[in-house]
Amino acid sequence: MRPLVSFRNVSCRLSGKDVLRGMSLDVEAGETLVLLGRSGSGKTTALKLVNALLQPSAGEVRVEGMPTAAWDAIRLRRRIGYVIQEAGLFPHFTVEQNVGLVPRLEGWPAEKIRDRVHALLEQVGLPPAQFAARYPRELSGGQRQRVGVARALAADPPLLLFDEPFGAVDPVTRVELQRQFLALRREIGKTAIFVTHDVREALLVATRIALLHDGRLAVLATPAEFLRAQGEEVRAFLACLDTQVTGC
Amino acid sequence: MTPELALEIVELTVEHLLLVGVSMAIAIAVAVPTGILLTRRTQLQKWMIGFANVMQTVPSLALFGFLIPIPLLGGIGKQTAIVALVLYALLPILRNTLAGILGVDRAVRESAIAMGMTGRQLLWEVELPLAARMILAGVRVATVTTIGTATIAAAIGGGGLGVFIFRGLASVDTTQILAGAVPAAFIALLADGGLGWAEKKLSPV
Ligand SMILES: Nc1ncnc2c1ncn2[C@@H]1O[C@H](COP(=O)(O)OP(=O)(O)OP(=O)(O)O)[C@@H](O)[C@H]1O
Ligand SMILES: [Mg+2]
Repeated sequence: MRPLVSFRNVSCRLSGKDVLRGMSLDVEAGETLVLLGRSGSGKTTALKLVNALLQPSAGEVRVEGMPTAAWDAIRLRRRIGYVIQEAGLFPHFTVEQNVGLVPRLEGWPAEKIRDRVHALLEQVGLPPAQFAARYPRELSGGQRQRVGVARALAADPPLLLFDEPFGAVDPVTRVELQRQFLALRREIGKTAIFVTHDVREALLVATRIALLHDGRLAVLATPAEFLRAQGEEVRAFLACLDTQVTGC
Repeated sequence: MTPELALEIVELTVEHLLLVGVSMAIAIAVAVPTGILLTRRTQLQKWMIGFANVMQTVPSLALFGFLIPIPLLGGIGKQTAIVALVLYALLPILRNTLAGILGVDRAVRESAIAMGMTGRQLLWEVELPLAARMILAGVRVATVTTIGTATIAAAIGGGGLGVFIFRGLASVDTTQILAGAVPAAFIALLADGGLGWAEKKLSPV
């Protein structure tokens, strides 16, 4: 089967800095590919290449077989759910309006949008009766991120991009959200590219892990393979796994 | 106060309001779209803001004077007065439009684009609503200033409450000066209060 997303020898240069260098990678339909890497390794940049917020300076990124540069950017983005690192909710929209944004842009009838939004809010653990009419400023950081996830799912896009969706929450809630994510994934079976710098999270949610180091793809492996993989950067990440287990 | 004076106060107040209203309508119609355009053209920003800045530093009486000999725009009368008032009102509105739109949170703008909003949707549904309060604050400042500056329009035959003031100055007649100054101050206070209230009402966040 044709990969849903395919990076082909992609480099990306931003203000004179090579942020990504010669990255090649296929994302198969139905999998959750985790981009793991230190801060500044190029994870967010890689995501933005997929929905054409950025264009590669060399190589190409294909979505459904077509280079992102050849897509109509608006159409491409409406087919991709994106949860950005800082949630990025519209402060002047209610939770309901935020989540219903893409369906509205796509011209769904109001009633269908409402049903969809309420179902999604239930799914991410924010009862609509309590949360639908609130504004983002009336939510906690973790609740905001969950609204961000619901918004990304709203128009039922075939591809999801998650940029550290659980970054701003305490460890307990984080585990809760990860469980929710796994349940959600089983339910909807979508393709996702999931960015994190937390190796535990990567091992938990990934079907495959792509480790980025300084703009290069260092390792591409299933979680089981990843645990046995060699290389300095993998070791560095696995080492923090040990410290976490021993309770640091 | 004689009935004649009362009548004249009403007449000149209406004329004053007209001067200010027309000038502000033109200034808003020019400055807001220009400000929006400038958020998309970073190189032009310095030039336009510079131009508007210079306009503001020219003493108002001198600006009215400079405009008189200019064909089409100038001459004696209301038209020249309106041109001058518009030039003064541009800067605060332009500057606030620019600041309001550029001040929209980067993450919000980025997520709007990533959701597949078109440029137009981004402007109308995200940037303008979030900048509205700031833009209105610029309009308020410009309006209050214009109400005061418009009194000088009388010097070049623009009419309005300034007629009283210049007449009072010429004949050293305090009653006449007050007949112009008090209503002008009153209008300014009303405008400030009204627009300030609208600003709070409009505030989305
Ligand atoms: N617009 C830009 N111009 C110049 N450099 C940039 C730009 N965007 C990102 N960078 C640089 O590119 C590198 C990778 O950035 P990126 O945002 O992809 O990192 P990241 O892996 O997502 O990091 P984090 O985990 O901190 O979010 C960083 O060094 C960053 O400073
Ligand atoms: Mg990032």
